[in-house]
Amino acid sequence: MLWIAIRMLTGDSQKFYGLLFGIAFSTLLITQQMTIFVNLVERGASGVYNAPEAEVWVMDPVSRTTDVSYAMPSTALDKVRSVPGVEWAVPHLRAQANVRTADGDLEGVAVIGVDDATLIGLPKRMATGDKNVLFAPDTVVIDDVGVTRLFSNGASPLGERLELNDQRAVIRGIADAIPSFTSTVVLYTRYSNALNFVPGTRNRLSFVLVGISPGQTAEGVAARIEKETGLKAETRKEFARAGVDFIIQNTGIPTNFGITVFLGFVVGVAIVGLTFSLFLRDNIKQFGALKAIGVTNSRIVQMVGVQAGLVGMIGYSLGVVGTVAFIKGFGSNPFFKGFYIPWQIPLISLAAVVVILAITGFIAIRSVLRTEPAAVFR
Amino acid sequence: MLRNLSFARQILPVGALIGVAIAVWLILVGLPDRSTAAPAEQPPKAVGKLANGERVAGAGVVEPASEVIDIGSALSGLVTDVLVRPGDRVAKGQVLFLVDARAARASLDQANAAIGEARAAIAEASTAQKTAREQLALYRSLADPAAVSRSEVIRAEGEEAAATSRLGSARARLAAAQSAAAAARTEIERLTVRAPISGEILAVNVHPGEFVATQGGGGSNSPFIQMGETNPLHVRVDIDENEIGRVALGQPAVISPRGAAELHVNATFVRAEPQVVPKRSLTNSAAERVDVRVLQLIYALPPSEAFRVGQQIDAFIPAKAGAPAKTEG
Repeated sequence: MLWIAIRMLTGDSQKFYGLLFGIAFSTLLITQQMTIFVNLVERGASGVYNAPEAEVWVMDPVSRTTDVSYAMPSTALDKVRSVPGVEWAVPHLRAQANVRTADGDLEGVAVIGVDDATLIGLPKRMATGDKNVLFAPDTVVIDDVGVTRLFSNGASPLGERLELNDQRAVIRGIADAIPSFTSTVVLYTRYSNALNFVPGTRNRLSFVLVGISPGQTAEGVAARIEKETGLKAETRKEFARAGVDFIIQNTGIPTNFGITVFLGFVVGVAIVGLTFSLFLRDNIKQFGALKAIGVTNSRIVQMVGVQAGLVGMIGYSLGVVGTVAFIKGFGSNPFFKGFYIPWQIPLISLAAVVVILAITGFIAIRSVLRTEPAAVFR
Repeated sequence: MLRNLSFARQILPVGALIGVAIAVWLILVGLPDRSTAAPAEQPPKAVGKLANGERVAGAGVVEPASEVIDIGSALSGLVTDVLVRPGDRVAKGQVLFLVDARAARASLDQANAAIGEARAAIAEASTAQKTAREQLALYRSLADPAAVSRSEVIRAEGEEAAATSRLGSARARLAAAQSAAAAARTEIERLTVRAPISGEILAVNVHPGEFVATQGGGGSNSPFIQMGETNPLHVRVDIDENEIGRVALGQPAVISPRGAAELHVNATFVRAEPQVVPKRSLTNSAAERVDVRVLQLIYALPPSEAFRVGQQIDAFIPAKAGAPAKTEG
């Protein structure tokens, strides 16, 4: 009997593909837009994720994110090192600077000073070169997105000289980093070099990166640092979250993407609802005949459910496959660098598809349930 | 069977399922790695009982036990010879470098000549005095007053007196010449720069032919020679003023050199500087002005190849038991 329902569904190929298109389209829209939204706001946390060793970030109490920070006196490092539960602590400098390229162009860059001895604070992987090149004098390591911005002609940046605050800086490596929200060019260098590259203010230390002793929790150590030093300490997770929240609070991105996701939902309801109702109305004689041979209403509900389930499954699959293909296809584009599909998002769009089909199925099925067997003869 | 295969009813659903399975796999594989990584190189850390105990951390610099002595020169002049090289161990009083002493030597020669001349004059005057005295004695021994005229006696008396005063003046010239010679010798000695203590030569910034001014050792000039007692080496650790109350003075500290944090050396307490001073910049950045003040603690390092004068170190010092953690108001 259910097989009959599926034959009934696929028999009218026009409406069948119309339904598939509706579901696939709204799945694609919802999944893809939410994916881009999540990835875009997570760019606000890229600074945190680019320093994989740090479990706790210590900063001035007024600092908010990796890019909105207020520098501390250099003895803050020693204060943090004095706190029990802190296994190690290293200085970390983040500042804006202007760089003059060989052509004489001026470009705003973010200069990140990593610990001199251990290079803690560098991204996990290097795209070109080895991390140890930073031990050479005046070395900077550029991030891969920065390469496309600073060297748009495709030339290799290795060995290029830059001028930072009247100092010579030589690019000797390319880091594989997650781009920042604004896609600024990022130059990584050692802390002592960074002090020279960035025009000086009195206090220079932006952050202290902390590793915690075995057997301690990041939250506990962060709370103890706050209590003992009066500085602000956030765990990696909290600080990443702060970066994301900063983007959400200060840009129109959530509204924008929220509207698009909502539109995807509405379009899904409209197309699928309309097509499904039309399809059921066209087949009202068949349902009448089935009722005439004694098929119960609950059996008919099951049949409609199977039809909706098949449409939903295929349409949803096409939508998800489309999204994955989209993200993978544009993966080489610097804008989409590091984009990924959080596993929660396909589940959310699955729920949306189920809701769409439930709403439209419920509306469409009422007419079928009211059908008299005599409808066959009309 | 095959002819019953329907695109919409069989191929499409199966294809969709396969597609969604691949998509799920790609999504799960593509999830980003947000885990934390262990540092590739060891950062400085507290070890032993300090690892989880109360402690105070500080940064510092290695210095000689005598502190660095910037050798100066008492007189200005051209350097004629440098007798030590960096790394040499010298004893107290050993000659470090020589400043041109030709002028002083010439004055010494002059003084010596004057001494000879004065001595000759003394000999001449004492001979004349002796002759005059003999003559006078002869005249006085005569019993007959008419044997010699009165004017002859007066002349002989005058000659004796003149010879005596010539002798006195020649003696005075000898003393003057001798003291001039002594002054020239002192001058030559002052042009020879010697080690004030026994220790190690840390830097030599003068070369033969260079001019040394007496202001050397301070100001913008680099010191001519730097030396210090490097056995043992000391470290000067800066402690933030807010942490001063927590430091357990007298306890040994754990010291690690920069870049070799896996090395943990126990250093014994020497003293705390009585004065809390503004933190000295360790980064060599001229623009850096930091208004924090620090307490400087001096610790003695055990003999080790790992430390050199001027090297930066990280230190961990035990805190007083039960000292409450300070919070900034």
